[in-house]
Amino acid sequence: MSLDARDSLDELLRETLRQDATGASHAVAQLEARVLETLGDRAPRRGLWGSLKALVAPTRAGRWTQLAFVGATACACLLVGFFLGDRLPRDRSPEPVALTRAAVPAVKTATAEASDQNGVLFILPAPNARVVSLVGSFSEWEPVPLTDNDGDGIWTTQIPLSPGRYEYAFIIDGRWFGQDPSADDYVKSFGEYSSVRYIGGGGGA
Amino acid sequence: MKRGVRFFIGVVACLAACTVGVAAATLDEFRGVIASIPVANESRIMAALALGQRSGFPADETYRLFERVAGVTGAAADKEAILLVVVEAIESGLPVDSLLNKAFEGLARGVSLSTLGHLLDVRLRLLEGTSDLFGRCRIFRASQGAVVAAGSTALAPSVFDALLSNVGDALGDYVESGGSPLESQRIYNQVEARLTLLAGTAFSADDVELVLSRVEPADLTRVVLAALS
Repeated sequence: MSLDARDSLDELLRETLRQDATGASHAVAQLEARVLETLGDRAPRRGLWGSLKALVAPTRAGRWTQLAFVGATACACLLVGFFLGDRLPRDRSPEPVALTRAAVPAVKTATAEASDQNGVLFILPAPNARVVSLVGSFSEWEPVPLTDNDGDGIWTTQIPLSPGRYEYAFIIDGRWFGQDPSADDYVKSFGEYSSVRYIGGGGGA
Repeated sequence: MKRGVRFFIGVVACLAACTVGVAAATLDEFRGVIASIPVANESRIMAALALGQRSGFPADETYRLFERVAGVTGAAADKEAILLVVVEAIESGLPVDSLLNKAFEGLARGVSLSTLGHLLDVRLRLLEGTSDLFGRCRIFRASQGAVVAAGSTALAPSVFDALLSNVGDALGDYVESGGSPLESQRIYNQVEARLTLLAGTAFSADDVELVLSRVEPADLTRVVLAALS
């Protein structure tokens, strides 16, 4: 083959290849567009569950998304627990329920209202208690029974008291309980606590 | 409740109150209880009780305490020690209400008689010390015909006794709760809080102010230290 003939053949081959490559890339570009269009039409819409699965499923860029999702879920659970914790009924305990300070004003209000007519009201929440009594300086520390007529675990009694300072304690099924949450003060005598209530005067009900 | 029922209950309550008022414990009843213990100082105890009856001490409460002490299982000497604390208070002209209350509480709690006697004795010393302190602060119990010196104040007996009883009792509570006698200001604050809360009951706010203005925190420390020594 002469040199000229070989040159013309090379030129022909290059031209042919160039035309093929141009046509192929155009075809590929068209194919890609068609595939994407088809996928767009047929792609199923993700529901909530699908979205969650997609979030949890391992993906290349999904690690931070997953962490954010787990964190948000944990926070939501904590918030729900926090709000429901105060509202759901709790298990009954054999011990007297220690009233929170926030609950004390309600008891004190009842006490103040009751002291005008029938005496001073003593209240003790003691679910599951069988016998509750009150001892104090007003009774020479002899037991005065408390009653829970409606069975709601709230034991009460009313005692007529003149203005002054009174020390007292509850006895729940034989055990002394000297720290009434609604007391005005507490004193320690004989190594045990007693509650103190002031009636009338500068700090009384 | 119907008005008639209320009236009936009121009448019965009045009659009961009158009956209780008339039926104060007599010396013979005291003698009977004391004999059942028995005690070594019967004549002293009876003399003090007679003195107390003349000065209007709480005879019924005292009698019930004597009865309860007599009924407890324990050594006669320990029982008598408790009675003698009350007797000494009567002899010294001190109010016995706070002592009776603590004695009733101790018995109800099942405290041993020897421990109870010791703690009551400390409270008696605190009452005596407080009474002396009031005297040094020129605060006295008013008595008929007595002349009050300039700068001194005589309070009605019931007011004086209530103040004395509450200050002494506050000191007793402080000591029993494990407070240090050297913390003068804490002791003073405890006394101040108690008297202030009781102002308007047995004594007035002016009476409280009188005591608090004349008593210094260091005075209370001295009373407590003397009682514990």
